[in-house]
Amino acid sequence: MTDNWIEVAKVDAIEMEDLIRFDHGDKTFCIYRIQDGFYATDGICTHEAVHLEDGLVMDDEIECPMHQGIFNIKTGEAISPPACDDLKTYPVKVENDLVYINIS
Amino acid sequence: MHSSKILIIGAGQAGIYAASEIRKHDQDSAITIFGDENYLPYERPPLSKDFLMNKRKEDEFLFFSKNFFEDNKITFIKEKIKNIDFKKQELVSVFNKNFSYDKLLITTGSTNRKMLLGSKIDNEIYYLRNLDDALKIKEKTLKKNKIAIIGGGFIGLEIASSFNQLNKEVNLIEISNQLMGRIIPPSIANIVKNQHEKHGNKIQMDSKIRDIQKNHHGYKIFLENDTLIEAEIIIAGIGSKPSVSLFNYSDLEIENGIVTDEYCQTSIENVYAAGDVANFYHPLFKKKLRLESYQHAQNHGINAGKNIAGIKTQYLSIPWMWSDQFNFNLQLTGICDQYDDVIVRGTTLEEGIINFFIKNNKIAGACGLGLMGKVGRDIRISTKLIEKNITIDKKILLDQNLKLNLLMKNL
Repeated sequence: MTDNWIEVAKVDAIEMEDLIRFDHGDKTFCIYRIQDGFYATDGICTHEAVHLEDGLVMDDEIECPMHQGIFNIKTGEAISPPACDDLKTYPVKVENDLVYINIS
Repeated sequence: MHSSKILIIGAGQAGIYAASEIRKHDQDSAITIFGDENYLPYERPPLSKDFLMNKRKEDEFLFFSKNFFEDNKITFIKEKIKNIDFKKQELVSVFNKNFSYDKLLITTGSTNRKMLLGSKIDNEIYYLRNLDDALKIKEKTLKKNKIAIIGGGFIGLEIASSFNQLNKEVNLIEISNQLMGRIIPPSIANIVKNQHEKHGNKIQMDSKIRDIQKNHHGYKIFLENDTLIEAEIIIAGIGSKPSVSLFNYSDLEIENGIVTDEYCQTSIENVYAAGDVANFYHPLFKKKLRLESYQHAQNHGINAGKNIAGIKTQYLSIPWMWSDQFNFNLQLTGICDQYDDVIVRGTTLEEGIINFFIKNNKIAGACGLGLMGKVGRDIRISTKLIEKNITIDKKILLDQNLKLNLLMKNL
């Protein structure tokens, strides 16, 4: 395992169609579990500075809890206004029931 | 596809989203949008918040990129329309230019109600609706400290919050016994009032203005209960009305705005209306509504665009709005004034407090207040449940250990 892979949580810590917040150093992320697997994006909405951890996950989309901007979890793409800047995404892997994020 | 001349009066959110939507489905028609402001179409929410607090500049909240019009072959004309002939299907601008149309969309929005004191001071009161208003307020308040705000609605409260954060002295005067009108539950309105007062804003409830006098320091506002408020600037946010003056002598059916069906179609063929100005029929609530909110302007504009482009689509969006003040966020969805039962979930701003308005074992509406981000998810779930007409298990609402996602299992 390279230094870029950072352990986030046990697989069981994230419910299906849900997310958790993960902080590392001065950065913050959202780690999602959806039907297609585990994904990760920056944690702060690109529209206004609110954390997406309180947002609603439905299928492969995350909705910001403040103004309902919608992003695609897998690609970070801003799908619905007021979100217009994409979210940055990060590779995620699962090994031995642990979820890892690659922050490079 | 048949190519048409499509004109849109009003370059606010509904108009611009309609134009964008038409172009997505129709590459051939000519689309022209008329605006009476000197700016590219922009979002209004920052005007009472980030822009007033100098956190965002005026070109940082446009709806689309500067190339949007060119890229989409949409003509944007900064000219006010002064006359309309529905029989000839023609508009006349203030520069006496004629524009004919095959289809017309009216998205003229709403205008502020004005204070009528019957003195010269009427002309010295500031209002906030557009960017020019915000620029005037910012300029005037640069060196002023005492702000009086007339009206305890969302706009008045957001302005009060913003000026408090700029360390100004704020006095807000509300004529009724509750902030934010009758659609917000009294318990939530009370928490908002307490938060403002905690931050140092003074809120005068049940207060009618008897007189306002001017001296070289500023203004003396005399309330009917003999309270005196001194201010250097007076800003009023006392409601708004639909902008229909252009159509008052026409055959267009007007009643609390321009009457439309669920397809944005007005009483005149090939004439549509959307956004703040439209009193539209909502098939799910089976009545006419007129909504003034960001989400409605956007979605109604998109719906009008689809229908104008020939894709007949009912407008079924469930009402939803928000207000940001200090570090808390208030959200409202659905219809909150007709219910059999109210279920309250949460007791603190940290966890978020939501009032669910239940009718026939379904959520009819919900109102939430919490620190930033805390009520959004559950309000969003409520909107979806209203949309799908889902009967809910009240036990899940009442048990805070159960996530509301459980109510969506049958969607």
